[in-house]
Amino acid sequence: MALSCLTRALRSMTLSQPALLSSQGVAQTKLAPHVTGVVLNQCRGFLTTASLKQNKTQWKLREKYTIKPIGMKKTGGRDYTGKVRTHGIGGGHKQKYRMIDFQRLRYEPTKVDQPFDEKVVEVRYDPCRTANIAMVAGGSRMRWIIATENMQPGDIIKTSAVIGRMAVSANEGDAYPLGALPVGSLVNNLEIQPGKGSEYIRAAGTSGVLLRKVNGTAIIQLPSKQQVQVLETCMVTVGRVSNIDHNKQIIGKAGRNRWLGIRPSSGLWQRKGGWAGRKIKPLPPMKVYVNLPSISAS
Amino acid sequence: MFPETAQCLKAAAPLFSQTVLLKDLSRLSTHGGGSHLQARRHLSISRCLTSKVRPVRTPRERVEIPGLEAVTYGEKMHYVPGLSKPFHPQWERSYKDPGHYRAPPAHEMPLFKDRSCFVFNQRTSALEGVLQALWLTKTKLISSLPPQLLSLSENPANQIPDQDERVQNAIKHARFWDTTEERPGKERYSNTMMVNLLHLCATLQSSHPAIGRRTQAEKCSLATTWRRGEDLFQIRGQNGLLHTCMDPLPEVSGKQEVSDTADHVLETFYPVSPTINLQKVNVYKEEMNCSGFRDDYPYPHAHTLFFLEGADANCKLRPDQFRAKMLMFTFGNALVRAQKLYGPQRVLDRPVTVQAVGTNGRIFQFMVFQLNTTDLSGDDGIKNQVWLDEDVELYDFAKVRPLIQRKQVKVPAGLAGYKPEAFSKFLSLYLHGAV
Repeated sequence: MALSCLTRALRSMTLSQPALLSSQGVAQTKLAPHVTGVVLNQCRGFLTTASLKQNKTQWKLREKYTIKPIGMKKTGGRDYTGKVRTHGIGGGHKQKYRMIDFQRLRYEPTKVDQPFDEKVVEVRYDPCRTANIAMVAGGSRMRWIIATENMQPGDIIKTSAVIGRMAVSANEGDAYPLGALPVGSLVNNLEIQPGKGSEYIRAAGTSGVLLRKVNGTAIIQLPSKQQVQVLETCMVTVGRVSNIDHNKQIIGKAGRNRWLGIRPSSGLWQRKGGWAGRKIKPLPPMKVYVNLPSISAS
Repeated sequence: MFPETAQCLKAAAPLFSQTVLLKDLSRLSTHGGGSHLQARRHLSISRCLTSKVRPVRTPRERVEIPGLEAVTYGEKMHYVPGLSKPFHPQWERSYKDPGHYRAPPAHEMPLFKDRSCFVFNQRTSALEGVLQALWLTKTKLISSLPPQLLSLSENPANQIPDQDERVQNAIKHARFWDTTEERPGKERYSNTMMVNLLHLCATLQSSHPAIGRRTQAEKCSLATTWRRGEDLFQIRGQNGLLHTCMDPLPEVSGKQEVSDTADHVLETFYPVSPTINLQKVNVYKEEMNCSGFRDDYPYPHAHTLFFLEGADANCKLRPDQFRAKMLMFTFGNALVRAQKLYGPQRVLDRPVTVQAVGTNGRIFQFMVFQLNTTDLSGDDGIKNQVWLDEDVELYDFAKVRPLIQRKQVKVPAGLAGYKPEAFSKFLSLYLHGAV
């Protein structure tokens, strides 16, 4: 029915006028002087509704990097339909998002492919994650990165993509490809695919261990004891992530949980099923993120 | 939404059975915020405008094949399944309308240059502070005011009668009496204090007639360009309060000290580059050299610049960054004068001297800058000099209500801890060139 109203309205805007009902004739005469100037050129249809913006995250759309904190809108566990998708999230102190550069090996536009140094300007608390973040300045740019355990303002950290024959004696906070590090070093901010940016081992106090290096790939043990095989050109930073006493923090009261944005769980007693209780099972097989050439039969 | 279509909708409103109210028309407008989101046609007009929305798909890429022209439903004036969507070129106004002007992208602007320029403006917060400013201006830092300046105010002939009492009254006026509210805000009292202290110094005009050959100006725009290494730098912005004089300031250090600066090595701060935090622009006018005044201005020589920390509400600078800003603008004023008098890129026979005072209402920074050379491209050779006196307190506390801890008065109400040295330095900077 709404569609027929719309097509009627659209038809009334055309130049070639079919015979109209008398009730519409009056409306037509009012329309005609406005419309002729428009319709002589081809007129685009008009939109009857705009996209509904209240369900879209607008604050995440910024593409240009900045170190200025960005105002965040909390979702309360709701998804784009507006319904609760994750329970127990809501409220809490207001937070501002600081854009963290997880791709440590990001060259400046004029100095591609050269190892570079950066100076740590400030190490501070980040409300959006468990780890602390560090503002580093190198060349003419400043960026936020995840801070490692003993990072202090004034330190110089190095980022290099060169894999030499000998393993590098890495200082904490430096970033190297896995192939350049000695076996057994503690690493964090692991990239699974080279150039993608780190997605693993970013939480407070975590660290992975470089177990062994096998022709062109490296095997790392993640904090969950899961082993992962990745290309040796993937970048990692050396050391443990900052804020190592995070897991020893005692919340102390319900109010502190509410400040963190954690709402109370449902009080309904639910019979625990097979998912509950301690499970002792063997480690899952090693996850391989490398496309190894398959051995063909002939 | 096009105004014509809005009129059509309003006229056609009686044809719709469910009336869309006028306030919904503004909500339906595609121009309201976030025009990068394509509005999708959604042909039901219902009351509930908060329904589920499917994720947006990027529109199909349009391919133009020269021999084959697509048959569109444009001529039919309505959608026909099977025919392609007509292409409408971007409409542009045939006349110039200043109310609806869209700036072209940077590379189409007439002043676009490939070589970028680094601009220091009045809101720049230099990461390395004074060190960065010293490198950019090729300057040697000396950490105290020159002794001949300090001796100016020790001479009793140069002092104001009842100096201490009058200065304390000036501070009290600025901090306590200048408002109908409980206490004046920081911007207000720092400004009032500066004006009061300047007024006090100006009362010496009867005994020092050279003070009458000065004037003051606010918010003059400074623009100057110089080359340092391979990069081009510019200073642009509005200074604080500027005192200008008919006669230039005498030089502070002799020829021997100036030639000794050639041995000084500028401090670098690897890995940070000296261009950090400077605004990088590709659209700029080369060889900008403007002091803010015309050439026939009767008071052309810059004497002192006065900077207030609270002048710009959006820009909060730390003390080191504030001193860097003072240094850069003082240098800018000196460079403009030198380039106008002597031309670019040479060592000056008569150095240009400019002074600066910065304050936040209580703590003062005094600076005397001497420009010895405009040849700034290399790192060696004669350098400029700056005498910087940091963090000079004028008084300790100016409290409206006393600070009482455990029933004992720690800090009494009113002005406490007045230090006369700060005003004597202020006076000596003021009298420099007039004695």
